[in-house]
Amino acid sequence: MINGNLKADYGADERVLNNRNKQLFVYGSMLLLAIFPFVAGDYAMLMACKMGILLIAVVGVNVLTGYTGLVSLGHGAFVAIGAYATVVFSNLFSGLPEGILPLIVIPLAVIVSALVGIIVGLPSLRVKGLYLAVATLAASFIVTFLIEQDLFAPWTGGVNGINTPTANLLGWELDTKREMYVLITVLALTTLLAAQNLFRTRVGRAFIAIRDRDYSAEILGISLLRYKLMSFAISAAYCGLSGALFAYFYARILPEQFELDLSLELVAALIVGGMGRTMGPVFGVFIVMMVPELIKIAMGAATGGSLELARYTGPVQEIVFGLLLVTFLLKEPLGINQITDRILRSANRWPFARG
Amino acid sequence: MLSVSDLHLSFGGIKALQGVNFEAKEGEITGVIGPNGAGKTSLFNAISGFYAPDKGTVRFDGQDITDITPDKRASLGMARTFQNIALFRGMTVLDNIKLGGHTRLKTGMFSAFKYFGSARREELELRRDIEERVIDFLEIDHIRKYPITMLSYGLQKRVELARALAMRPRVLLLDEPVAGMNREETADMARFILDVQEQFGTTILLVEHDMHMVMDICSHIVVLNFGQQIASGTPAEVSKNPAVIEAYLGAAA
Amino acid sequence: MGQFIQFAINGLMSGAIYALIAVGIVSVFKATKVVNFAHGYLIMFGAYFYFTFAVIIPGQEWAPAWLASWQPGWMVEMRQGLNMFSPLGAVLDWAANVPRIIFGLIGAVLCNALLGMLIERSLMRPLMGQSVFAMIMVTVGLISILSGAASLIWTADAAFVPHIAPNTPIRFEVFGTMVFLFGADIVNMIIALLIFGGIVAMVKFTKSGVAIRATAEDQSTAYSMGISVPKIFSRAWILASATGAVAGAILATRNGISPSLGLFGFSVLAIVLMGGLDSYVGCFIAAMSVGVLEAMTQWKLGGEWAEIVPYVAVLVVIIFRPHGLMGQKEVERI
Ligand SMILES: Nc1ncnc2c1ncn2[C@@H]1O[C@H](COP(=O)(O)OP(=O)(O)OP(=O)(O)O)[C@@H](O)[C@H]1O
Ligand SMILES: [Mg+2]
Repeated sequence: MINGNLKADYGADERVLNNRNKQLFVYGSMLLLAIFPFVAGDYAMLMACKMGILLIAVVGVNVLTGYTGLVSLGHGAFVAIGAYATVVFSNLFSGLPEGILPLIVIPLAVIVSALVGIIVGLPSLRVKGLYLAVATLAASFIVTFLIEQDLFAPWTGGVNGINTPTANLLGWELDTKREMYVLITVLALTTLLAAQNLFRTRVGRAFIAIRDRDYSAEILGISLLRYKLMSFAISAAYCGLSGALFAYFYARILPEQFELDLSLELVAALIVGGMGRTMGPVFGVFIVMMVPELIKIAMGAATGGSLELARYTGPVQEIVFGLLLVTFLLKEPLGINQITDRILRSANRWPFARG
Repeated sequence: MLSVSDLHLSFGGIKALQGVNFEAKEGEITGVIGPNGAGKTSLFNAISGFYAPDKGTVRFDGQDITDITPDKRASLGMARTFQNIALFRGMTVLDNIKLGGHTRLKTGMFSAFKYFGSARREELELRRDIEERVIDFLEIDHIRKYPITMLSYGLQKRVELARALAMRPRVLLLDEPVAGMNREETADMARFILDVQEQFGTTILLVEHDMHMVMDICSHIVVLNFGQQIASGTPAEVSKNPAVIEAYLGAAA
Repeated sequence: MGQFIQFAINGLMSGAIYALIAVGIVSVFKATKVVNFAHGYLIMFGAYFYFTFAVIIPGQEWAPAWLASWQPGWMVEMRQGLNMFSPLGAVLDWAANVPRIIFGLIGAVLCNALLGMLIERSLMRPLMGQSVFAMIMVTVGLISILSGAASLIWTADAAFVPHIAPNTPIRFEVFGTMVFLFGADIVNMIIALLIFGGIVAMVKFTKSGVAIRATAEDQSTAYSMGISVPKIFSRAWILASATGAVAGAILATRNGISPSLGLFGFSVLAIVLMGGLDSYVGCFIAAMSVGVLEAMTQWKLGGEWAEIVPYVAVLVVIIFRPHGLMGQKEVERI
């Protein structure tokens, strides 16, 4: 018996940060995030923003794949929808005051993504596993294909991409990375917290029940129709929000940025970090973003900046990315979260016992 | 309370049910027995809505529920356990049981995102209810934080019953609740089933191979063989019925 | 009407190649329950191997001259006096290439089979019996590994690769319209159909085919019946990558070699699902229909729209028939 874990009432027992180490970790990280923009250089700032944007999308995929057990290989398309919807709505409502535009455009982009998510999720009611993975993949090919078409080019810019607006929140123009960092971080933390909350209630539990044993979930009164589509809608909404931030962050967006590579990156980050765990996406995004950067830096140093050899960087990054995913699947299928769990557990028990 | 009439069900060539008729009376324990492959589990699956019968109706409290989905039957107050334990293996005992409360809770997506406020209040209320009414009742307080995979077979069966009870069911279907249990565990389970009937007045439908237990606790018994209903009546009537004796001896021979 | 026939025939010809690719995905699925998302990239490797053995190696200084171009005296003689587009000229052009075509095909099939075996041994087998999800995600990881590796190994721009058969143009009149076909396309179609038929016959009638089917039914029962399940796994992968090599070579001669060959695999994945995953017949029907549909789309809407035909088709089919055209519905025992 570990005395430190005795709980006084149910409220205390239901807490998420139920021990000192978890509290230390979470509050410490928040403090670091707050200090970060004051000490970080431009490059670190850029990386942090990219990670935050990707994180929101991966949290979305986690809701669907990690918690509900519905595999999607096409969620890059929802990021695309969020990003393009942001541009399209901004141009559509350009008459409105700039300061309130994002407050209208972002929610609209999220809603559009969620609605498309529900449509793409429809096959999930009738097919499982593999069929769904291929169906989502097919849907995502169709979405990016349509964005590229000349037919829609007046709105989307077609294959050449389109310029994006700058976010302006009630007169505060977010035209530097440091300013965008604030918005991205706040939204990333909020969405992470919202996802965590979901799984403390009946809604999130229903998702997990569907993942673990769908017929058993049904017998408990969980409507598969309702909850599978809800899971699709939530995950697509998260990806849509990520896309909206993507559009505000970059000066220009191109359809090719949202193709298969992005969808795979989302899934890979989730698997590497740990599926069906709150912190999984956080760890996963960090690794999936940092490893290619480290390769670039290492290859740059090794080749002495030779342009001839710099060609190899892309392929090597690609290979390492694949190896990373494969290695985790073979060696630690529950991801980094499993490793940190082990560390936290032994820290929590220290100095009584190990393991 | 729960009645089926003229129920027929087949899988390709296999006739799993051929005209089953009976009623489970309110507040009583009704047993369904029969040799292996007789169609007992298929009957449960038809009652809970997993398989659509070819013919016949299922009525719940007078209402025809033959064509509604399993989750709607749950909201009406029907709960069940499975022959092959169907717990959620990725969750703790407590979360499994909490899922039983699903239909009674109201939290929607947006209040779930917020958690603090109505969702939290509802969750804590659910927790208190489960603790008092289910966990204490079934004496599983010591394992509430355990993952399912760490439990013995007997305890898993008990957790599955707990999950069903958390639904506050009006009708409870139990598919072989004591299969594979030792004598002591069987006695415990029989006691729990009787307690459920007594304390909550739940109507219970029970499939079981353990004849002693069935004869002891059921007030009415339905006998199936090769999908056909060959007898029904009180334990005393059924045990004297020549067709039943023949079916069991035939199966044993 | 003639136009229609022209496009329909074109469609059937690409449909046959889809079927050839599909056979690899279906075989692996039948034996291992794994859908190989990286199959297109295996095909890309097959194409690059063909390029290596049919173009790069014969072009080396140390390679014998007849490998690069076989010009025996009688052939040179026959060649003289023929005009540029004569059918016999095309046949003779092809004949000069025969040594390197054969060398290329053998090299591609062997190397790709080896690659398939390597993948199965190192990545699939450790996960066997544990998690199909993990195995499938491994094939997703394989997409990046193979695609990166290909661009590391084959840095040179892929040049022309020799057609497998003489590329004589054939033309004939149907309902007053000219229909054009190319000899190589017809031979490609025949090769694809022969391989497809051969594999189906093998799975239906031979002993190892029966073993594959038994494994597909139930792995643990197959084990207990004395079937070596690991061997089945490995054979399925070898089969898939070897047929993939032929498909890759054919595609290389048709559309040239480029990294986008990998993406081709996804359209075939859609086709396989449309057919019903474990049904060769279903996949054949799906492959042919998508081939024809694509050709018709190309005719009526333009080439670009043909790109998404397989994806739209699979979504439509799944909505009406969740398990594909010929797939079996799995009834879960509760
Ligand atoms: N999903 C299914 N598909 C095909 N046949 C089925 C299915 N479910 C049950 N059956 C068949 O229906 C018949 C009745 O099976 P059922 O499981 O209802 O028997 P049971 O009385 O519960 O037997 P046991 O005492 O062994 O649990 C059996 O022949 C069985 O093989
Ligand atoms: Mg049974």
